[in-house]
Amino acid sequence: MTSTSPEIPAAGSVDLPISVETPRRSLLVQLITGMLSFLIIAVPSTLSGLFFLDPILRKRKAVSDDTADGEVPRKDEAGFIRLDVTKEAVPQDGTPLSVTVNDDLVDAWNMFRDVPVGSIWLRKVGDGPILAFNSICPHLGCSVDYIREENEFYCPCHASAFALDGKKMNDIPPRDLDVLEVSMRTHGQQDANGHEIWVKFQNFQRATSDKIVI
Amino acid sequence: MIALINWLETRTGVKALMHEAFNERVPGGARWRYVWGSTLVFTFVLQMITGFMLWSAYSPSTRTAWESVYHIQHEMFLGNIIRGLHHYAAQGMVVLMAIHLIQVIIDGAYKAPREVNFWLGIVLMMIVLGLSLTGYLLPWDQKGYYATQVTTNIMSATPVVGREVQVLAQGGSDYGHLTLTRFFAMHAGILPTLLVGFLVLHIYVFRRHGLTVHDPKRAPDTTFWPDQVLKDSVACLAVLAVVLLLAMFRAPELSAPADPAVKFDAARPEWYFLFLFRFLKFHAVESLGVTFGAIIVPGIIMGIIAAMPITAKVLGNLGHTLNRAFTWALALGVVVLTLMAFYEDANNVEHQAALTEAHRDGQRAIELSTGPDKIPVEGAVTLLREDPFTHGPRLFAQHCSSCHRFNGHDGRGSLVTEAGKTDEAPSVIAAPTAADLGGFGNRQWMTAIVMDYSNHFAWMKNSTWFRDAQAKHAAGGTVDYINPDSSEMADWTSGNLDALKSADNADNVKALVEFLAAETGHAGTTYDAALVEKGRDLAIKGSWAGALNGTSCASCHDTIGQDFPTQPDDSTASSYPTLAKYASLAWLKDFIRHPDAARHYGAKNQMVVYSSQKLSDENLDLLVRWMTNDYTASTVHDYQDQLEVLKASLASNASGVAAPKGNK
Ligand code: FES
Repeated sequence: MTSTSPEIPAAGSVDLPISVETPRRSLLVQLITGMLSFLIIAVPSTLSGLFFLDPILRKRKAVSDDTADGEVPRKDEAGFIRLDVTKEAVPQDGTPLSVTVNDDLVDAWNMFRDVPVGSIWLRKVGDGPILAFNSICPHLGCSVDYIREENEFYCPCHASAFALDGKKMNDIPPRDLDVLEVSMRTHGQQDANGHEIWVKFQNFQRATSDKIVI
Repeated sequence: MIALINWLETRTGVKALMHEAFNERVPGGARWRYVWGSTLVFTFVLQMITGFMLWSAYSPSTRTAWESVYHIQHEMFLGNIIRGLHHYAAQGMVVLMAIHLIQVIIDGAYKAPREVNFWLGIVLMMIVLGLSLTGYLLPWDQKGYYATQVTTNIMSATPVVGREVQVLAQGGSDYGHLTLTRFFAMHAGILPTLLVGFLVLHIYVFRRHGLTVHDPKRAPDTTFWPDQVLKDSVACLAVLAVVLLLAMFRAPELSAPADPAVKFDAARPEWYFLFLFRFLKFHAVESLGVTFGAIIVPGIIMGIIAAMPITAKVLGNLGHTLNRAFTWALALGVVVLTLMAFYEDANNVEHQAALTEAHRDGQRAIELSTGPDKIPVEGAVTLLREDPFTHGPRLFAQHCSSCHRFNGHDGRGSLVTEAGKTDEAPSVIAAPTAADLGGFGNRQWMTAIVMDYSNHFAWMKNSTWFRDAQAKHAAGGTVDYINPDSSEMADWTSGNLDALKSADNADNVKALVEFLAAETGHAGTTYDAALVEKGRDLAIKGSWAGALNGTSCASCHDTIGQDFPTQPDDSTASSYPTLAKYASLAWLKDFIRHPDAARHYGAKNQMVVYSSQKLSDENLDLLVRWMTNDYTASTVHDYQDQLEVLKASLASNASGVAAPKGNK
């Protein structure tokens, strides 16, 4: 058949300049070729880059809560969550109490109903108001323990220490423990004498001296 | 700039490399026919880019694979485009590969000294097919699940080691988490790495021998850059444009989440494997077994292709001619078989119905997942399993459609057929022998009961029990049976038709219907409260105008307007069917369980009694909730109404079939 190929020297040996009869293409052709080659890679790369930025670019949709009719929702519009414990559970003598906070958690495509989303320290002095601290260390995010002997909060990771009112006691943490807003209620209605403890649970940026909600 | 390049050059030799890469000699000038290899490399790069992106959001497990692909496609920014590009470029790669292979053979580029590179190319082809096969399963949807089942079962037909191969591929004796993790590792790790390795070899050896040129005198020699690169990039741009347009305007389908308990009648392999699928369906091939059709024959074909360089060497030009003829014949065979498969599927009513249903299920799964409750941790498959809209129709088709129809079809959109009169005769459309339950309990239904009773239940007259009873009656026997043409109810509607249709009662009929429809409690309709109250009065007190005055529903159906009891029994049953919350969820559940109870049809009953042995509580719930609209509202395109089609085909085929007249 006619299609037998002539033997062509291996590419490695073609070092001589292109033969004189080969026309050097104009700069324009080189430019167009360069642009096209760039384009075919740039388009998918750009689209992919934008896709990768999804966590920043996408707006989250609203999700439902599953409160039965007639029941007071566990979380209100302002973000306050009702704790499982009531006022009575918090020790009178000022000893802090560790409490788990439950909420509906949206994780990508899943919705987990009423699962632990964090833990807080509750503290009450005498008949004074209840204080709530996020138990996450403002240094780098470990969790803060209560040390009974020292009567202080202490973080085992890098030795941050806090007084029971949340004030930092050494220079390791950048700020005091993060205080959370507390509201005492009865059947979800604001009531200074209420027994329900509602806490506005939030997490804050670590490693900054300012308290920035994340 | 120049200094930088020189600095790099002395340390890496990059300039020489570039020089070599770009100044590759193209004897006879740049040509379009040389672009195929480059487009393949390009699509592979495209797959790498989009594949890494999908990888960043994909989660391989049976409870998260479908869910994460759903999330990519329907929630994430540009996710539909990225998945679309990957989906279509994969198919493009197979097409381009076929073109490349055919061209290599036609041009004789497989012959000495390029045999090794030809074999490398065949290895690459196998890897690409492996990639498309493993990728098809990853979304873990019904389509991929059942198609891949077929493939792994074919593997098990391999002589001697079949079962072991299958278990290895699946990561166990059945499909599960490990099937996905293994397929994913193959798809995103092992196969691409192999592909890169063989591709480097392929290109290296290609460069060693250069292009296969027919007539180097055609035009002056040129260099790879820019002449051939220009043509290559234009071709790649065309490929990119095609896949991008497809991704934008024809999003790849995500069918319902894989469920081993739900049959998938629409199962087909990816379209480029359809030829093999069709080949296996030939009776002669089938009779020789799967091993023959799916392993031995393809193996022989691959063997012949791989042996082409040797054939050409041994037989010279004759060998090349034979090789070319074989290639063309094979290509023709593949095209013909593919077209046959498409054509047959397009004309296969059952397959089309299955496709419609697959589509409906898939859309429904997406619709439910998009809801504010998101997807439960047990996976989206439970959304469908607990969905009346999805399973009600299937249960209806299974249990009810031998007598009833739903808008003329079996609940799942298909007409019901029965065997022809003789063994050889083709099957015919079966006539319903009980009411058509499409629109059960809605206003039209209630209107028909009040105004058009005999006609509404005319389907019953096709049943054997009805004909037998009539025959017995004609012979002078006494039979107590449900007769739509002659019963107290039928007599009431036909006897009072003039009065019912009179202008004075127009509003009354409307009110009664509103009341009856409202009593069903079906979701999705709002009722006029004042009209409902007026209707209640009519039903219970019979405050009609004219001759009808004083005839109330309650004088026979004494429980009308009451709640349906939670523990229904026959202690207070009259000889008339109870209409307490007629057609409601509670009424219907009780009716299906006990149609023969005195509170329903009693001794006259002809309906099958569905005990919990026959129809479990869960399934009864799904069926009844579907029939009473008790499910998350849907915008998914539902099965087509077939009532007119059914009537028309019955009228043209059979004689003496009873059917309700007019539109419902
Ligand atoms: S994280 Fe608590 S001390 Fe560093």
